[in-house]
Amino acid sequence: MRTLIAKLALTAAALGCGLQFAAAETANIWVRADGSNFMPRIVDAFNKAHKDQVKLDIIPNAEIIPKYGAAAAGGTAPDALSLDLIYTPSFAAAGQLEDITDWAKSLPYFASLSPAHVKTGTYKDHIYGLPFSADASVLIWNKKLFKQAGLDPEKGPTNWAEIEADAEKVNALGGNIKGFYFSGNCGGCNIFTFTPLIWASGGDILSEDGSKATLDSPQLRGAIDLYRLMVKKDLVPAGAQTDTGANFFAAFAAGNIGISPSGAFAIGALNTQYPNVDYGVTFLPGKDGNWSSFAGGDNFVVTKGTKKLAVVKEFLDFAYSLEGQTILAKYGSLPVRGDIAKDALRDLDPRYQIAAEAMAKGKTPYSVVFNDLINSANGPWTQMINEVFFGDDVDGAIANAQETMQSIIDQAPQK
Amino acid sequence: MTSIATTTTAPPRARKLVGAGRRQWIGLLYVAPAVALVMLFFVIPLGMTAWMSLHNWPLMGEHSFIGLDNYWAILRDTRFWNALKFTGYYTVVVTIAIFAVAFPLAIFIERQRPFTNLYRTMFFMPAVVGFASASLLWSWLLNVDSGLFSPAAYDLGLIDKKFNLLATFQPAFWSIIAMVVWKVAGFTMIILMTGLQSIPQDLQEAAVIDGAGPFARFRAITLPLMRRTLALALILSVAGSILAFDQFYIILRGGPRNQTLTAVYWIFNQSFVSFKLGYGAALSMVLLVVLVALSLVQLWLLRKPEGLD
Repeated sequence: MRTLIAKLALTAAALGCGLQFAAAETANIWVRADGSNFMPRIVDAFNKAHKDQVKLDIIPNAEIIPKYGAAAAGGTAPDALSLDLIYTPSFAAAGQLEDITDWAKSLPYFASLSPAHVKTGTYKDHIYGLPFSADASVLIWNKKLFKQAGLDPEKGPTNWAEIEADAEKVNALGGNIKGFYFSGNCGGCNIFTFTPLIWASGGDILSEDGSKATLDSPQLRGAIDLYRLMVKKDLVPAGAQTDTGANFFAAFAAGNIGISPSGAFAIGALNTQYPNVDYGVTFLPGKDGNWSSFAGGDNFVVTKGTKKLAVVKEFLDFAYSLEGQTILAKYGSLPVRGDIAKDALRDLDPRYQIAAEAMAKGKTPYSVVFNDLINSANGPWTQMINEVFFGDDVDGAIANAQETMQSIIDQAPQK
Repeated sequence: MTSIATTTTAPPRARKLVGAGRRQWIGLLYVAPAVALVMLFFVIPLGMTAWMSLHNWPLMGEHSFIGLDNYWAILRDTRFWNALKFTGYYTVVVTIAIFAVAFPLAIFIERQRPFTNLYRTMFFMPAVVGFASASLLWSWLLNVDSGLFSPAAYDLGLIDKKFNLLATFQPAFWSIIAMVVWKVAGFTMIILMTGLQSIPQDLQEAAVIDGAGPFARFRAITLPLMRRTLALALILSVAGSILAFDQFYIILRGGPRNQTLTAVYWIFNQSFVSFKLGYGAALSMVLLVVLVALSLVQLWLLRKPEGLD
């Protein structure tokens, strides 16, 4: 027993010395599963080129918020994390994040960082989050199936009527092939890909400052009718009704779906993981043309009080370099530095240009209760979209969601 | 058992006080590890939960004392009471279903006959799978596009259009019941089997000689003598069902349309989706009271009748 303790003490001492002599430090960083394609590569590249190291954990999309909150409460939070940008206001409001205003403003390229990110990363005039990865929602279509169905494989739909007509033609191929896919029970997926249809037609679901829910609009009704019609005509696989997001990308990647609203991430993911799928990328259209997009992605935020701030900054610096931005773009994120975006995208798939344009003009809702309103699997938005796409009482579902969302907004702590 | 233990540990009065005191200290020492574990993993967390329930305690940021406000809020929280109602409904249905399957199985495998061990193993097997893994497995089995049930029925020509089992309440609810019965019945079966085996064979034989039929024997001998076993199986099943969460979270996400939100699911949502840990703690305390009350009622119902050992 005594020897064991002695040995342990010796090992501990040795470890302590080791830490003292090696100056390299390791920072722990989390990313949600959406970043599982590009994040490991950028971390690898950083670790190879630097003495300081980054240890990456990939957390499932739905778990990262509760897991981070629990870890923060228990004092085991990572030094930094790549956080879905819409959460930055509520995290900053909770006093969980390190104020990085001075450092951010000292970056020579600060002014050309993605404005949607910086806007959500700013809380009460202080900066708590900087853009890390960017993702804009777009519409993708399967060129091979379009050709088989007698459609022009190079021309994607440009308004709602075309979406429906093209989907119907592809669907007519029969067998396992379906015209259209969306995750019908996933709030996050649909705020990303369904609301742009509304925006492009001139409507919105929240007021500009997030203080009013505005669900009762003809634009929302119109977009709902489009989806309902496609469901009724059986253009959508039956599994869509209960898909909580697990098949959001996988359904199209399997090659049996004609059209699916998706995101820029799909370009990198399809190119690297499903090189056989021949697809086109276009904007999410409004009822009669026009287009819009959800400018999403992750903000890079630093846990308040971390001791690895230097490593974290070094890592972010690397991510902002041309090399970092190119790795990001190659594996599924859009570049977040406007001044070098062209260079980072130069040798890449031209389809990224569409997504980059969508990103630049995209919208991002701002709300401190985004999780409760939209992303929660049991929240009013998720419940409403499932009811209005597949249920019988559209008016009741919208009225109910409007009331619940407004009461959640009104009950939110005023900070 | 209890009576023997008391006689050996209680020291005779005539003994010196010093000796008795020391013995008691040694006794304490023996139970110390168990007490420490219970303190560390039950009493202290419970105390902390109670303490947190009196605070406005967000997942991140500062917390503040608000007295009983959380409890007043629970009174008005209709979604929690709906979740509790659904949990009650689920508990009743699933407990009846488990016993309806487990009891016949227990009777079937109680006695040695050819392949009994094989059957026992087979029926018990699902019990060793974790609830989360079992839920993932069934989540795939139930998937309408790439799963087993619906595509198989479609390919066999039993239905003309693939039927999404998880899209409406009734099929979704009964799918979960089927999954839980598949998973838990084997465990309940083993508990019931040990109860059946502890009934002396001569009682049954005497009853046969007296001319009692199988139903009369089951009612007059088997059931009364299995009282304690039944109590154990029932309390385990009810407590497990009231705390149900995994299967509804993993397979249904509380859907379709939030109709299968259980009490624990609601607590999880309040704590980790809405970040209201204090409120979640208060809900947990309420659920604890409900559970303790239900267990006491069950123990009282299945208590030992007077004069019967």
